[in-house]
Amino acid sequence: MGGYGDVQLLRDDGLRLDGRKIDEMRPVEIEAGVLPAADGSAMVTHGLNVAVAAVYGPMEAHPRKIQRQDRAVIDVRYNMAPFSTSDRIRPGFNRRSREISKVTAEALESVVLVERYPRSKIRVEIEILAAEAGTRCVGLTAAAVALADAGIPMRDLIVGVASGKVEGTVVLDLDKAEDNYGQADLPVGILPNTGEIAFLQMDGDLSPDEFNLAMEYNFKAAAEIHEIMVDALKRRYEGGEN
Amino acid sequence: MVELVPTLLRQELARLAEDDLRLDGRKQWEGREVTLETDCLYNAEGSAKVVLGDTIVYAGVKFELRTPWPDRPAQGSLMCGAELRPVAHRKYEPGPPSPQSIELGRVVDRGIRESGCIDMESLCIVPGEKVWGVMIDIHVLSDGGNIFDACGLAAIAALRTAIVPAERFDVGEDYTLKVKGTPIMASFTRVGGRYIYDPSEEEELGGDERIHITLGDEGHLHSLQKGLRGVFTPAEFAEIFEVAHHRCTELRTLVANQEGN
Repeated sequence: MGGYGDVQLLRDDGLRLDGRKIDEMRPVEIEAGVLPAADGSAMVTHGLNVAVAAVYGPMEAHPRKIQRQDRAVIDVRYNMAPFSTSDRIRPGFNRRSREISKVTAEALESVVLVERYPRSKIRVEIEILAAEAGTRCVGLTAAAVALADAGIPMRDLIVGVASGKVEGTVVLDLDKAEDNYGQADLPVGILPNTGEIAFLQMDGDLSPDEFNLAMEYNFKAAAEIHEIMVDALKRRYEGGEN
Repeated sequence: MVELVPTLLRQELARLAEDDLRLDGRKQWEGREVTLETDCLYNAEGSAKVVLGDTIVYAGVKFELRTPWPDRPAQGSLMCGAELRPVAHRKYEPGPPSPQSIELGRVVDRGIRESGCIDMESLCIVPGEKVWGVMIDIHVLSDGGNIFDACGLAAIAALRTAIVPAERFDVGEDYTLKVKGTPIMASFTRVGGRYIYDPSEEEELGGDERIHITLGDEGHLHSLQKGLRGVFTPAEFAEIFEVAHHRCTELRTLVANQEGN
């Protein structure tokens, strides 16, 4: 979070550069069951971000050493396509994608009823096709819908949302410029029915009051996205296919 | 592990072949429905999505400024790579590029490169110092069979919509990449003893060798590849070449129509 100073992120009329209000999120669209080869899948478009998630399994966990006698493990791979950003990304895992994969897996293991599948593995693949700030949240939302689409029992869905701070003001759902030049970013994964939090990261600078406001915005956005997720899953099974 | 399912599948495919039938009801040379979408990825300078039956692939074009190869100081470069990410199928595992994905990327690369549709000299900015590197990355998201044709189509369609981002690199104004021609690939797999066009995933699983043919606008061959274990006769090749010619022309029209919109 740099805070480079000379970039104006809030307009004089109080709106943001892209015309959104302080507590307005970018448009979200979700479609479940987009990948025929997968057991479950979803595509989430969030602003200009596009994330696709596929779920395979539960299947035998191997190598053996990753097996748990009492539960399934969730193996998440978050990957950005080489063409997803303005400068091409070299294909392959890097430190950032490893960390995001790890905390995403741990978040999903908190909602999936993993005890039902001892010694097995559930593979979750998250591919970011287009990135415009907030991809880990969009990927998490896509993964949750894909798991539900695969018919894997879960306590709740998870919604990935983020708030942050630009020019001293707390705003919901940072876009690219706000992410680059803003002062804080607070991505969370919210369980919409229980109100619990399964994913949490933050960087930058937030006062306790600012943190509370950012969280309030996140919960508001999570409720909105949750409706879109449920709607996507309903549409998937109303169609009559599968 | 004994491959029980392929054995049963092979028997079924052989039985169907006797009556000139296919598992999904298609005729021997009939392809699945293809949909093509271009300019569909924000951040890619050119992009395309191809849906071929249950197969879904995306291709994205990016540009880089680089120094030219010493032996070709006035030429830019083209690179086409394909990734078989674990997202695309159960059978794909994470890790360094597999031989399959390397073959796939290189076959698509050859078809485009050898067709001469990109004038490498037009990619030169300062001879000996600065040229454009064009990278086509292909992302397979769902492998429902015949990813080769889907990747080839996505790659050329993405390339044909690419805008050279000169402004971002401070070397002039953005312009549309000049692409002369539309090389198209057609793939065949031996199933139940005879060749079929556009194999489904099951046909690949229970089939034998495959042949990929890339044809340019004039119907010239630009890339050929035989993959997997098996042999074929010149007569068989002559027959599939006829089909490839026909199919490539149809798909070239599809690309042209998409651009017309």
